[in-house]
Amino acid sequence: MNIKIKKGLDLNVLGEAELEFAIVPKIEDYAVQPVDFVGMMPKLLVEEGQQVCAGDALFYDKRQPEVLFCTPVDGVVKSVVRGAKRKLLAVVVTANVEQAPASEGFTAPEKVREFLCQKGMWTALRQRPFGIVANPADSPKAIFITACESAPLSADADFVMAGREEAFAMGLKTLCGLTQGKVHLCCKPDSTCVKPFAESLQENFSQLEVHTVSGPHPSGNVGTQIAAIDPINKGEVIWTIGLQDVANMGDLMLTGRYAPQKRFALAGPEVRMPRYYEVTAGASLSSILDQQLKHQDHVRIISGDVFTGTTITKDGFLGAYDTLVTLLPEGDYYDFMGWLLPGLDKTSYSKTFLSGWLVGSDCKIAKLISQFFPTKVDTNLHGGVRPFVFSGNFEKVFPFDIYPLQLIKAAIIGDIELMENLGIYEVEPEDFALCEFIDPSKTEIQSVIREALETIRKEAM
Amino acid sequence: MMNGLRNFIDKIKPTFSEGGKLPWLSSTFEAFETFAFTPNTVTRQGSHIRDAVDMKRSMILVVIALLPALLFGMWNIGYQTALNDMSWNIDSSVWYMLWSCFWFGFLRMLPLIVVSYVVGLGIEFMFAQIRHHEVNEGFLVTGLIIPMIVPVTTPLWQLALAVAFAVVIGKEVFGGTGMNFLNPALVARAFLFFSYPTHMSGDKVWIAADLWGSDAITGATPLGEMMAGGVRPSASLLDMFIGTIPGSTCETSAIAILLGAALLLLTGIASWRVMLSVVLGGGVMGLLFNAIGANAYMQLPFYYHFLMGGFLFGAVFMATDPVTSAQTNAGKWIYGFLIGAFAVVLRVLNPAYPEGMMLAILLMNCFAPLIDHCVVSRNIKRRQSRIKIEK
Repeated sequence: MNIKIKKGLDLNVLGEAELEFAIVPKIEDYAVQPVDFVGMMPKLLVEEGQQVCAGDALFYDKRQPEVLFCTPVDGVVKSVVRGAKRKLLAVVVTANVEQAPASEGFTAPEKVREFLCQKGMWTALRQRPFGIVANPADSPKAIFITACESAPLSADADFVMAGREEAFAMGLKTLCGLTQGKVHLCCKPDSTCVKPFAESLQENFSQLEVHTVSGPHPSGNVGTQIAAIDPINKGEVIWTIGLQDVANMGDLMLTGRYAPQKRFALAGPEVRMPRYYEVTAGASLSSILDQQLKHQDHVRIISGDVFTGTTITKDGFLGAYDTLVTLLPEGDYYDFMGWLLPGLDKTSYSKTFLSGWLVGSDCKIAKLISQFFPTKVDTNLHGGVRPFVFSGNFEKVFPFDIYPLQLIKAAIIGDIELMENLGIYEVEPEDFALCEFIDPSKTEIQSVIREALETIRKEAM
Repeated sequence: MMNGLRNFIDKIKPTFSEGGKLPWLSSTFEAFETFAFTPNTVTRQGSHIRDAVDMKRSMILVVIALLPALLFGMWNIGYQTALNDMSWNIDSSVWYMLWSCFWFGFLRMLPLIVVSYVVGLGIEFMFAQIRHHEVNEGFLVTGLIIPMIVPVTTPLWQLALAVAFAVVIGKEVFGGTGMNFLNPALVARAFLFFSYPTHMSGDKVWIAADLWGSDAITGATPLGEMMAGGVRPSASLLDMFIGTIPGSTCETSAIAILLGAALLLLTGIASWRVMLSVVLGGGVMGLLFNAIGANAYMQLPFYYHFLMGGFLFGAVFMATDPVTSAQTNAGKWIYGFLIGAFAVVLRVLNPAYPEGMMLAILLMNCFAPLIDHCVVSRNIKRRQSRIKIEK
């Protein structure tokens, strides 16, 4: 299927990563962070100082004890980080031994699920609705993989997958075994690696369907693609998995060893040399950030993209599902009469600022002008929080057959039946990220949607 | 200057914070601080970057869009007085007429604007403080519109009462801007209209007789003439388009209102769907009456309705109020169309009131949630039918 998304918005953020790998400085620590996984209740299995091998469980989820969260490297448990109320935030492992040689591949097809759960690979599968780690007992109606992320500065799918074709094919095969339905892979129309390769596999895998998706962000969000291809109805379950995790799954099946690799882009206006890095999942970013931060202060370090990522500190770790680290200037400054000036340098989709006329414009003059007046992208909230006043804006950036404002309001008042009617099961907070971005009343829409989904999930338990 | 002001604000900030000397003024202080400087707050969760547009920016653009109509309205106050007052020499130089009329209107209008803002903002600040909210910018627009749509001779105490009623009953009891279901400016006008009918226009409108006194004379509006059984308004179409006719202060000039409309549409602040559909609704209903043609009013060409009375002002600035209009795009078409249609119906068929725009908008304000409900229900039905097909 060729999908053309019309509603949305491409935001130009400086500092796109060049298509080359940087030399990775020495990374000692790796972490698995329960906070990366929605709604999880971790139960710790290791203690500080304990020796662990890659694929050994660090903790599990009390909700589904069979799914284990495993260390990606061999080493020693360095610390168990806890926050307020002793909430488990992260288990940090210091890699200290050479990686053990590869063992035998996996050969017992009837026990695939069990194997993936035990080795820690299962956590790469997330289910919709709710965005939680998939339940191994479920049979999803389809599995979605996106290879065309469209958020600003996103990693290039073809670049990060180059050379991993064999593992990728194995991963796809494994996924096909997990569902009775289809496995959907969405690519860019001009994809040079993933799309031709996947199409060549289609002969062997009858369940695999390859789609092309074009158009502005959020065309690359898996939620947008699900809505266009096979929308979720009440009671149905769809699984999603990251592109690189498909290859990681394939690697595990081929070698029997859990050693998830992540190629991520380090990008943004505050990066010295924006490029790609190849690391093991959960890597500490401190040594990379030491080299690449333009400024030490007033910087927002984001694991993920500018709309949905998680704020981390300078000694933070790469998030479990992230393939992008963005560095932005903090917006902690005052803007004199900021609401009154014409505003050529404002980051705005609204036409109330002059720069709003230039964003996303194909006109040559507009592009020329915007070169001289680069817009400031930073983390300033640009105003105070207000009730919703305007309507009709969200629809322009929300490519779903859903009334966004009405759904958000239903979520705020917590009316579960109304939310179900309005399509809450089809969305995740990330689908509302652009609405949140353009909202003049500065409502934290993604949090509202997450809380609503969590309420419904707990209600259903 | 900027740094000096910033330092000054930072210095006096503790006085108004919790534990300072004047904590009960903190909302007021916050309103003025953010008026001078967009605050330095950064995003905490969710999207790390946010659009530069906020409520202040949006509301100030509506105020700017109102200015052409306001300035013209001020001039027209003086001009209408001059036409009726022999002591004015209308044939003197153009510049003299321009300035003296404007100055006269400016001085008549200023007290109304000041009273409206002082009373309304005073109440808004008080409610914001009680609720520990920031002051909402919505009243910047409402507070300007109210004096623009009442007769210039309205006594100030009546205006103050109307503003207080509109802000408290029309808005704050529901939770403030964004929660109300009736357009507060129209609530104020309706309050005056029904409470003090003699001070509002009957079939005629009051024109200021002199600068300081409360004397007033009446002038015939096009609507009033039609009401009284006229065949055509005595003013020419061109006069009505430019706006040199009697009427509520700022509703008369189509050209000034269209300038404001252009700004609202270009910036995307107001919904083009609502504006267009109000005009469509009025036009279709006017044509329908033309087709029936039972009396002189029905035979009036439909386009007269756009230029008479408050039709355009209502379509551009009142029907488009984002809070009280329909919220869905499909709903906006229905909502706007019915406003235009009802306004013309009220004008032509209702013997009691010459102008139907205010009541048509207030009526549709009440029905907007119902329209939205119907529109959204279709989406819900579609979603439910999807399950049935697949099962």
